Amino acid sequence: MSQIQERGSTHVYKVNRISKEEIDSMVALCVYEQPPFCNAACPLKLDTRAMLKAAAAGDFKKALQLYEKIAPFPLILSHGCEAPCEQKCRVCEVGEGIAIRDIEAAVARFGELSRLGGIFKTTKKQSVAIFGSGLFTLFLAGELEKKAYPITVFCAEADEEAYLRAAAPFLDEEAFSLELKRLRRKDIRFCFGSEIGPALYSEKRGDFNVLCASEAVARSLFPQAVCIPELMYCEEEDLVMGCGEGVMDAAFGAKKAALTVDRLAQKLDPRNTRGSEGACDSSLYTDLSEATALRRVERPAEGYSKEQAIQEAKRCIQCHCEECLKSCAFLKHYKKHPGLLGKEIYNNTQIIMGDHQLNKPMNSCSLCGQCSVICPNGFDMAHVCAVARRNMVSTDKMPLAPHEFALLDMLFSNGDAFLCRPQPGYETCKYVFFPGCQAIAIAPETVKAAYLDLCERLDGGVALMLGCCGAICDWAGRYEMEEQTREFLDREFAKLGDPIVIAGCPSCRKELSSHDGLELVGIWDILGQIGLPEGAAKLSRPVALHDSCGARGDAHTQAAIRALAEQLGCQLIDTPYSGDRSPCCGYGGLTAYANREVAAEMTDKCLERSDAPYISYCMACRDRFARQGRESRHILELVYGTDAGAPPDISQKRWNRLTLKNELLRDLWREEPKEMNLPYQLDYTDEARRMMDDRMILTDDVIGVLDGFRESGEAIFDSDSGLMIARRRIGNATFWVAFTREAEDHYLVHRAYSHRMNVVKGQG
Amino acid sequence: MAIERTYYTIDPQGKLQCVKCGVPLEKGKAKFMYLANGFPVELPVCPICGFVYVPEELALGKVASVERALEDK
Repeated sequence: MSQIQERGSTHVYKVNRISKEEIDSMVALCVYEQPPFCNAACPLKLDTRAMLKAAAAGDFKKALQLYEKIAPFPLILSHGCEAPCEQKCRVCEVGEGIAIRDIEAAVARFGELSRLGGIFKTTKKQSVAIFGSGLFTLFLAGELEKKAYPITVFCAEADEEAYLRAAAPFLDEEAFSLELKRLRRKDIRFCFGSEIGPALYSEKRGDFNVLCASEAVARSLFPQAVCIPELMYCEEEDLVMGCGEGVMDAAFGAKKAALTVDRLAQKLDPRNTRGSEGACDSSLYTDLSEATALRRVERPAEGYSKEQAIQEAKRCIQCHCEECLKSCAFLKHYKKHPGLLGKEIYNNTQIIMGDHQLNKPMNSCSLCGQCSVICPNGFDMAHVCAVARRNMVSTDKMPLAPHEFALLDMLFSNGDAFLCRPQPGYETCKYVFFPGCQAIAIAPETVKAAYLDLCERLDGGVALMLGCCGAICDWAGRYEMEEQTREFLDREFAKLGDPIVIAGCPSCRKELSSHDGLELVGIWDILGQIGLPEGAAKLSRPVALHDSCGARGDAHTQAAIRALAEQLGCQLIDTPYSGDRSPCCGYGGLTAYANREVAAEMTDKCLERSDAPYISYCMACRDRFARQGRESRHILELVYGTDAGAPPDISQKRWNRLTLKNELLRDLWREEPKEMNLPYQLDYTDEARRMMDDRMILTDDVIGVLDGFRESGEAIFDSDSGLMIARRRIGNATFWVAFTREAEDHYLVHRAYSHRMNVVKGQG
Repeated sequence: MAIERTYYTIDPQGKLQCVKCGVPLEKGKAKFMYLANGFPVELPVCPICGFVYVPEELALGKVASVERALEDK
């Protein structure tokens, strides 16, 4: 098989490889949207984090707007607030917690009074009457005014000043005048000097949709009334009333009562659909590793000045859980926390007709599993993306284009370039060396040296298998191809007598571990047992070790590699994000094929940890680091004293595989390989080479086009450029090659491009 | 009935020649097919053998963007 069937777009299948319940429970692991602890502890749900951020930036206007959202009279609230938030502040764990209440007081004092509502402010039709005075009725009037109810307050006091004084006698003159100003600006109708009693209540009862009263008034009107404290409501008397003492009780009670009024005004049961009320728990994760133990800014008796409040607010560490976003280039690129992105990717798989806008993000994850280690709750984005890809393949909605090149490369590795032979002189072997397709493509000399060394120093015979483990189709979600590859490799292993597989690559080791009954070791384990060969050489400078994502969760392999590096005499630099926390180089999950930009960001993320040369134990990492201009070596290059040099382009990689296979066939097994020479001379300009690598066009594709041209003579001549341009449909793409004929059987390629659409002559 | 569109104009006329037939390419009807969708277009075509030429800028521009849009359907 050397072609892959392109999908049709008219099929409609519905497959769910992951249930909604499963994705919901996975999404729930992400704590990004959890409230910070100060916010969760506040029964009024003040967005403390945002308020402190605004205060720290000196924006007291914005800070006050945030505070006014929960407090219609902020100076009164800040005076009596018991600040449960302060006990929950995470800074308490490393020093003195943030003085949130004192900052609130400064915000209330120095913040600019918000403007009156716009001229288009509308009021609701249902009217509300509030009987009595005191903190509860004051706060309730403020809450209901925000909700745009027409409110009438019946109180015994003679004016607003007396009404406010009765509610908040503890305010100093400055605060009192500010709150009085605020009260006068509110759209509240007062009936001062009312004689509050059963007569007034009966008289007004029919004029309003909802009736509310202070606790004192309610008790005097209905001594037997039973108030439901969660609703602030006496069901029998159909009266919303206050209960409890103190500023916090009054403020929280007014919030609950305002919601009850809302429900009653709509003639709905006040018990239902109330959402979350009061303080709650938070499971937000906060990284305190960089938080320093500092003391509070000292508060003078008159409270913080503006500058002092800013300084104190600056101590807030703005609790956020962005652990995965900090470490993963993919999540950072899409600027979405995994809970949200995971949900969107799941939804993408559920679209039957229409655009699958999340295809690219879904295919951009390297499936490396770093997030599952970094996340305090183990959110595994790799699992979400891998299942989503398989789901898309199942419904025939997965585009082939992003992965086709890699899949064809795998078919090539297990086709023309595949080699499986027992060690010369053996029919079956104790071992088989499986170096991995990338090692063969990038460092064929190292693979050859390793194989010859293993043959020489191990007893029982070492077979060689040059091929692909199947990780490519696993990453692409092509589960049927994966199964075929598994069966194919198992048949080949059986021919060798089911030997112990010596994996040269941790990703191959991981992929092959899913084969039943296959015994696996890493070449690093074998080298640990038999020691280093002659010629092993360390790098003279200190080096940074990059752990392969294929070895995540495999402490044994990580330790074996470190032991090998130590034996070599390497001076290893400790880098952040090493071991299980290591990021992917950008090759994993086929990111390098589906989204080059994200893959490059992943490589940069790996390289930003150190300026030193990198050593790795996965050839794909070695290749990507070298391509990004960093000195990079595979540990086997040091073990065998080889240097794979500059990274090969996509055509050279294929050529390296074929050449190694043919060389070994000829030298070790005395078999004459297939002729690889062309019956004509074909050269490329440097620009053509660069273009082909960039556009993923192989020399084999160009040869296919030229072969076609030589057979059919079909091409066009462009007199502007002086180039002949021929084309050929190969598989699912049409390749175009612009060339000059230098001599009868000699062509020079100048340009090459391709498209997937098929073009045919129109009718008529 | 689908609207036929011209995405490429041979300028100057006659600059593109069919190597096999030795005649200039002309504006002619062609059809792009992809993922069970078909789009009639006008492209340089050899009037004798019917060779349809897709210039590089068209292949990497409009054709590539339509391909991506259809792939995500």
